[in-house]
Amino acid sequence: MTEVSSGIAPYIYVSTRMRVRKAKLIPREEYIRMLNMGLPEFTRLIEEMEYKREIDELAASFSGVDLIENAMSWNLAKEYQRVIDLAPGEMKGFTRDYLHKWDIQNVLTILRGKHLGLSDGKIRAVLVPAGALDAQALDKMISESSVDRIVETLPIKRMAEIISEHLPQATETKSFGNIENELYKYYYATLIKAARSGMKGGEPFLKYVIFEIDVKNITNLFRLRAQANTEFSTMSVWIEGGSYKPDELERLESVENLDEVIDVLKKKVKAAALGDALEALREKKPIYAIEAALTSARLNQMDKVSKRNPFSISPMLVYLERKRYEVSNLRALARGKQAGLSAEILEKYLVM
Amino acid sequence: MAIETLFSDIGAAALGKGLAAIGAGLAVGLAGIGTGVGEQGIGAAAVGATAEDRGMFGLALLFTVLPETVVIFGLVIALLIMFL
Repeated sequence: MTEVSSGIAPYIYVSTRMRVRKAKLIPREEYIRMLNMGLPEFTRLIEEMEYKREIDELAASFSGVDLIENAMSWNLAKEYQRVIDLAPGEMKGFTRDYLHKWDIQNVLTILRGKHLGLSDGKIRAVLVPAGALDAQALDKMISESSVDRIVETLPIKRMAEIISEHLPQATETKSFGNIENELYKYYYATLIKAARSGMKGGEPFLKYVIFEIDVKNITNLFRLRAQANTEFSTMSVWIEGGSYKPDELERLESVENLDEVIDVLKKKVKAAALGDALEALREKKPIYAIEAALTSARLNQMDKVSKRNPFSISPMLVYLERKRYEVSNLRALARGKQAGLSAEILEKYLVM
Repeated sequence: MAIETLFSDIGAAALGKGLAAIGAGLAVGLAGIGTGVGEQGIGAAAVGATAEDRGMFGLALLFTVLPETVVIFGLVIALLIMFL
């Protein structure tokens, strides 16, 4: 990795570019307008946006909402690769570490798709090659016939080791949940290690990573509470490095009174954004609404960290996350409109 | 000892003129360095913003040259030193 020795200027340059890009993302008011549009009008609008190029590229292979969905995934992957190219020196390494979660998501999608016997084309359509594994590496994995061969061709050795270790159990139980949990534990451990490597902005970013782990642990707690008979225990989904200990969360899992759960969780929360989000959860809500609220809290906290540390890794990561949710919101809108869902229901799925 | 001899040879008036010239040089030079430091960040941000949006070029250029005023202050001081 090349070291940047020309002072703070490269950070200022990249941070400014990311801020300008973030400012160009779709604002809340535009989403509200989109919610009330019909599908043809919405499709036309998307085609006039920055996704036009990808829509033209993929128009021969897909049509309708599938075309929009694939064009957006493709646009997201290309945009992430462009951001990695822009990142100077040590920021490049950290950005790659952060985007590693896409590798986890893609590999799990391939494993699950193969296990379920889906066609290569269908699996390829849902992949977002935004991490270290590019489209070619993913294609190579998809073309393998068995799950074992896929793991062998996986170029990220640590991931391959984790998957190999848990694969027999996953095949037996027909669930890749445990592999997913273990991969995310490894992902967050890598992030913490990178944040502690002494990089500029590493310390505030470490705080953010801890915050993200807390949000993830809280989300998992609510998921476990929502499912009565689940194969997972708190210990198996708990991610190390956050503020909550597994025994605390295990106890909360069985507590009936929601107010008590919120009170205990709030005791360890320092970030106001998460405190407010937890407060709003006192009212019983479905799990998707809880997840959307927690994601909004996470993004708001990320914004705060980036404003306090304007010339660090944070503005870049804020843009990457905001862009991800723009794509996921537009996909939700496209699919939701196709399925005929009302604006009120769709709004609950959007992260604004 | 050698310096005292040198001073007595060139005379007080010439010495004063020489020191004034050094002062004028420092006024412009140090102001220039300060401006450079100030422009480093603004310039990087201006190039970044312009790369994303060409429309920002005019405003970015204006912000980039703002620290140049410091050099003008240095120049004014230098001229005052030299000619007053």
